[in-house]
Amino acid sequence: MHTGQSLSGAPLNTPLTLVSVAASPDHAHRLSTLGIREGSQLRLLTRTIGGGRIALVAGSRIALGSDLVRLLRAEVA
Amino acid sequence: MPEPTRLRLPIAPTAQGSSPVSAKCGCHAVADRTAGADAPVIALVGAPNTGKSTLFNALTGSRVTMGNWPGTTVEVSRGVWRSTLLTPSCTCTDCSCDSSDEPTSLTVMDLPGAHSLDAHSPDEALTRTLLVDGPADERPDLVLATVDASRLAHGLYLVAQLRELPVRVLVIVTMADVASQRGVTLDPASLSTTLGCPVVVVDPRRRTGLDELAIAVRRILTTATPTPRSTPADDDQLVLDDDRFTWLSAAVDNGTSQPDGHRRTLSDRIDRWVTAPVVGPLIFLTVMWAVFQVTTVVAAPLQQALDGLFSGPVTDAVAAALTATHLQDTWVEGLLLNGLVAGVGMLLTFVPLMALMFVLLALLEDSGYLARAAVVTDRVMRLIGLPGRAFLPLVVGFGCNVPAISATRILPDARQRLLTALLVPFTSCSARLTVFVMLGTIFFGNQAGTAVFAMYVTSVMLVVLVGLILRRTLWRTMGSEPLIIDLPAYHLPTLRLTASVTWQRLRGFLKTASGLIVATVCAVWLLQAIPTTGGEAFGEVPVGDSVYGVMAHAVAPVFAPAGFGQWQTASALMVGFVAKEAVISSWAQTYAAEEPAPGQTGVLGEHVRAAFEQSSGGHPIPAVLAFMVFLLAYTPCIATLATQWREIGPRWTLFGIGMQLVTAWVLAVAVFQVGRLFW
Repeated sequence: MHTGQSLSGAPLNTPLTLVSVAASPDHAHRLSTLGIREGSQLRLLTRTIGGGRIALVAGSRIALGSDLVRLLRAEVA
Repeated sequence: MPEPTRLRLPIAPTAQGSSPVSAKCGCHAVADRTAGADAPVIALVGAPNTGKSTLFNALTGSRVTMGNWPGTTVEVSRGVWRSTLLTPSCTCTDCSCDSSDEPTSLTVMDLPGAHSLDAHSPDEALTRTLLVDGPADERPDLVLATVDASRLAHGLYLVAQLRELPVRVLVIVTMADVASQRGVTLDPASLSTTLGCPVVVVDPRRRTGLDELAIAVRRILTTATPTPRSTPADDDQLVLDDDRFTWLSAAVDNGTSQPDGHRRTLSDRIDRWVTAPVVGPLIFLTVMWAVFQVTTVVAAPLQQALDGLFSGPVTDAVAAALTATHLQDTWVEGLLLNGLVAGVGMLLTFVPLMALMFVLLALLEDSGYLARAAVVTDRVMRLIGLPGRAFLPLVVGFGCNVPAISATRILPDARQRLLTALLVPFTSCSARLTVFVMLGTIFFGNQAGTAVFAMYVTSVMLVVLVGLILRRTLWRTMGSEPLIIDLPAYHLPTLRLTASVTWQRLRGFLKTASGLIVATVCAVWLLQAIPTTGGEAFGEVPVGDSVYGVMAHAVAPVFAPAGFGQWQTASALMVGFVAKEAVISSWAQTYAAEEPAPGQTGVLGEHVRAAFEQSSGGHPIPAVLAFMVFLLAYTPCIATLATQWREIGPRWTLFGIGMQLVTAWVLAVAVFQVGRLFW
């Protein structure tokens, strides 16, 4: 059972800790290479068109589509 | 003078397997200079937007395409790095070498941007093949990994993977200035200790730190291949990743210090607007409108001026030279004036358009906006299975298809590039616009603008419909990748980078297109010069009696079901294969060569109207609409085909030609057959 909330409902400009990544293994691994993995700290900066988000992860700005945002869960750090 | 010192260092055996692609065979090389078979080979790798290609150019003096955009390096380039500081006997610790010393040469390869060695795209797969899967003795002697100091952890995942291989690795930290602005302090020595490999800070844009890099490269090339970093025995990817992230987190902690809390950067503030749900698309449309306007409006007078130059002074000068050599009124005059001068002139009229387009593309790339545009358009483009960034080549196509095909290189996925390159010719370029305006004026009078606008709407519909059909047939296995874009920081575009990228692309266009265009124009002239009946001299035959005219007569019946089966129109379409602008001149040339009806001499519009009236059986409106649709959808100009040939190869170019001809014919017939029921 996953805790936290989907990134689509997570607050902006708030430190978050990623608690689960329900993406396919390929996509999860790709996210992992960008530093987006369970336990990583991130901050959502902007809500983009179509429901996506721009996330600040380890100094990088990563744009995530809405499909993916729904599959990532985080809790306020 | 002594021979340049060559280093040859043993490479430790690595993974099994072989591949036709290797670092030393140069199979994928495009810039194609090497320092010799025995010279050490070094490979530049790194995540996109870490200054890799800029560094390559600084080291080798090459002009590889650079940009602030993931996937800028879509091929492997090679160059030669020559420096006395690279010579093994050199003991310099700074730049104090005797300038008379013979420099040592290294072969440098610029590999496509890669976040990891896991090959998520064909370009990343190529990087992996060259570094991991290729034969051990053909791998590079040293891997230079560029990482962005402002987001160190981001680039160190690839370094972690490289350190697990028996290869020499040297880490180049770039963007130290950006990191400093964000309050990040870098400690290269501590970073080097934790990573277990040398670390050098370099600014490729300002070309600082290159001597220190040369000295570090010289040193590491004389050392033995390091022992790979040990990893957990567990094959589970997540376990491996945990280990890598623990390792790289320690490296970041030891090598940098940064203030607590998040500082909102200028990039963040700009992104708040340019990617916003409502304002973002408006900004995007404004930017695209500006690109379209500049390429169609600003370039137009430049094109006309060049056209005037070639059809006026240049033609006059050649004609005068022919007269002076008593070759006027001979076939030589036709070949030179109608073939070569016209062909080269037409090619050169494209240059301002191309240059402007490439400048704008370079500015958008270097500034970092292109990545944001991809975010904004992602949702719409996903309908036809393409990512948002594919929108740009398609928009560019409305100005000119040629740079649009080249612009497909911004797509990291080869299948997406191919699909986009096949869709671009369906965008209505400015050359077609001239024909649409003329026909609209002749047949629709005051409603000409509406007719032209309808062609643009049809163009967009064609892109979407053909895209959907291809997506659900040939491309059905192409998965829909979720949007994951690493957004580069905004940069103020630099003149040097913009000029370099523009020139590189323009030169590529000229190299590819010039030969084909001139050859095709000359071939058309030749066919128009050869008589098919006795009593007419070579080069002095009416078009209708030439081989070209006979071919047009033979082709014309194909268009009868579409209502424009007259040979003059078929002839214009054949010329339009070379360039759409030539359709009007073909009509003018063809009708001028015929016996004109009394009182209609020079009235091209009347001739065209009469021809459509006759060929359509009294339904000229649906016939001309069908013709316009055919003109929109059939094969693009020869310059576009030449560019397609270069970008997607002959097989897919021929497929595209066939697909477009079939699409154009079916649509034209449908438009005419349905339209004749109403008009």
